[in-house]
Amino acid sequence: MAGICCGLVGESEPSATAEPSSRGSRLRILEPRPFKFVADVALPPASENGRKRQRVEVMPSEGIGSGREARKARVEEEKGKGASEVKVARATDGSTSSRDNLQVEPQESPKFGFTSVCGRRRDMEDAVSVEPLFCSESPQKPNGLHLFGVFDGHGCSHVAIKCKKRLHEIVKEEIGSYRESSVQWKEAMQRSFTRMDSEVQEWSDVAKTSNCRCELQTPQCDAVGSTAVVAIVTPDKIVISNCGDSRAVLCRNGVAIPLSSDHKPDRPDELERIQNAGGRVIYWDGARVLGVLAMSRAIGDNYLKPFVIPDPEVTIVDRTAEDECLILASDGLWDVVSNDTACGVARMCLRAQRPPSPPRSPGSSDLAVGANAESSDKACSDASILLTKLALARHSTDNVSVVVVDLKRDHQR
Amino acid sequence: MAAATTAPNPIRRNSSFSPERESFHKFFECWLAEQNQHLHDLISASSPARDGDDQALRPLIDRVMLHYEQYYKAKSRSAKQNVLAMFSPTWRSSFEDAFLWIGGWRPSMAFHLLYSKSGLQLEAQLAELIRGLATSDLADLSPSQLALIDDRQRTTIHQEKAITEKFAKHQETVADASMVELSHTITEMMRAGGGDAAVENEAEMEEEVESALAAKEEGLEEILQMADDLRLSTLKEILNILTSMQAVHFLIAAAELHLRIHEWGKKKDEAQAQTHHLEAHATAQ
Repeated sequence: MAGICCGLVGESEPSATAEPSSRGSRLRILEPRPFKFVADVALPPASENGRKRQRVEVMPSEGIGSGREARKARVEEEKGKGASEVKVARATDGSTSSRDNLQVEPQESPKFGFTSVCGRRRDMEDAVSVEPLFCSESPQKPNGLHLFGVFDGHGCSHVAIKCKKRLHEIVKEEIGSYRESSVQWKEAMQRSFTRMDSEVQEWSDVAKTSNCRCELQTPQCDAVGSTAVVAIVTPDKIVISNCGDSRAVLCRNGVAIPLSSDHKPDRPDELERIQNAGGRVIYWDGARVLGVLAMSRAIGDNYLKPFVIPDPEVTIVDRTAEDECLILASDGLWDVVSNDTACGVARMCLRAQRPPSPPRSPGSSDLAVGANAESSDKACSDASILLTKLALARHSTDNVSVVVVDLKRDHQR
Repeated sequence: MAAATTAPNPIRRNSSFSPERESFHKFFECWLAEQNQHLHDLISASSPARDGDDQALRPLIDRVMLHYEQYYKAKSRSAKQNVLAMFSPTWRSSFEDAFLWIGGWRPSMAFHLLYSKSGLQLEAQLAELIRGLATSDLADLSPSQLALIDDRQRTTIHQEKAITEKFAKHQETVADASMVELSHTITEMMRAGGGDAAVENEAEMEEEVESALAAKEEGLEEILQMADDLRLSTLKEILNILTSMQAVHFLIAAAELHLRIHEWGKKKDEAQAQTHHLEAHATAQ
């Protein structure tokens, strides 16, 4: 089944156990959970928390004093974009008409939900990118691809916002460059991230009129960067590219499978890479590159190059029938909610709103299917919002951004 | 009634008597007693059975909000008489005083209060929420509510920063050229001492000092008004976003926190005063 093409994934995971989707099993899973939550609360990753908090204080300190007007402009700009960053998206499902013809999937619209809030921070530096059907793989494979991304900025929000606006366009160009041949995902994504990084750099050099906190003034501007965890969902694959300490987790048959490995300066291979490049990792309230940045890879952060690099680690997973959902989130969630808990909550939300087994009879009307599709998307946003609220409940001190993508293919069963 | 509201207040950190100060102090004690009564009403109204009973809940919420409005109106009136008293509130405990932002609670704190209370209620009912059951309290914030709250939070923080900045600028004017010159002139006069001309001059200078200080106080009054407006508008906006039952839960949390912190602070002050008194006694002997 699972063709996981990356060594860092899944090796230590417990084997998946088949879980009948009966009400009984749902209750059984729910019962012990409160204790689990208590345990999680009792054992917070203290060192990580401390590290994060420190990062937050260290990075923007120089940029704060001078940017009042800029902040004002930024807030207004963000407000102008719509209700706010907390948007819950619901894709309309195009699958209703294709039910009669199960073999053909013209455009599988994804079901997803996302939430992004300022939380207990005083500045919003997260950005979320949701691009359903943003391009197709090739003329031979016209099925739409979907891109989801979470970008957790530091120093200021402009790099994260730039990634949200541009990265999917860059990825689309890179995919397009393969024309007839099949896409080499790893190199395509690595090139995309490199291009994204240089665009951020060029843009910072050019942009004189800025409206963000750092005011794009060097040296402050050089101290701005962002994590990037990007998922491209194809009809048969999930491609995760990660740079920094945001994270993607796949929920497969009830088991949480991390699809990215956080880039922390004290991760042995990262430590070695940094030292080989002539850099140092200083333990100053947690491991930090040159005693400053608490992650070892990021987009931006010019002044920490070549120690902090924008190269993503790319993980490619074949989709299986057991896949339930994909969660992308910033460390505002992961600092206080474990992978397993997040998966448990998300799949419960998705299951709670699916019709109970047995599945619909073949004779059920299109209307019923449509309603189901709608509620399923509601389920995704419910899951993202519940995870966000859980993070806030557990005293997350950071911005919290969560994307939940439903990977079940209801209309195939 | 809460002990704090009836107990005499032996602590006067600022002994300078002022009628406005005294009357606001009394007003505050009454207001606390009323808040305590409202808290009881809110708690009785918060039983799940009352959920959706807007006809019963709305008037209560409106009454509590009106109470907050009355507080700020009274405060504004007193500030016009004596703004300095509002910046060194003898009716607050030292603990509360230490956490004040421009003469009151920090507006962005309201969102932390909301998130903390919501979080506690969420953890208590997570299983129900996962199953998609409604809990009708703050655990049940909908996506659109969370979006509105997040938006309002950013607006509040933005305005809070703007007022802080304005306050900083005003504080810096204490050392502006006219104040420095005035302080120098007066010092020189004091050194020179006596003489009829000096006495005449002194009266003139005193007037000048008074008008200089009055300008500083006017600035304070304006900033205090802005800060209080932001406190009240933040509170109102949050309540507008919440359902009636959620609003009741939020107001309960706000009142509980306010009343208990006040009591704890008072106790601390009393204990401190006791120690101080004993030490003074020992030294005297």
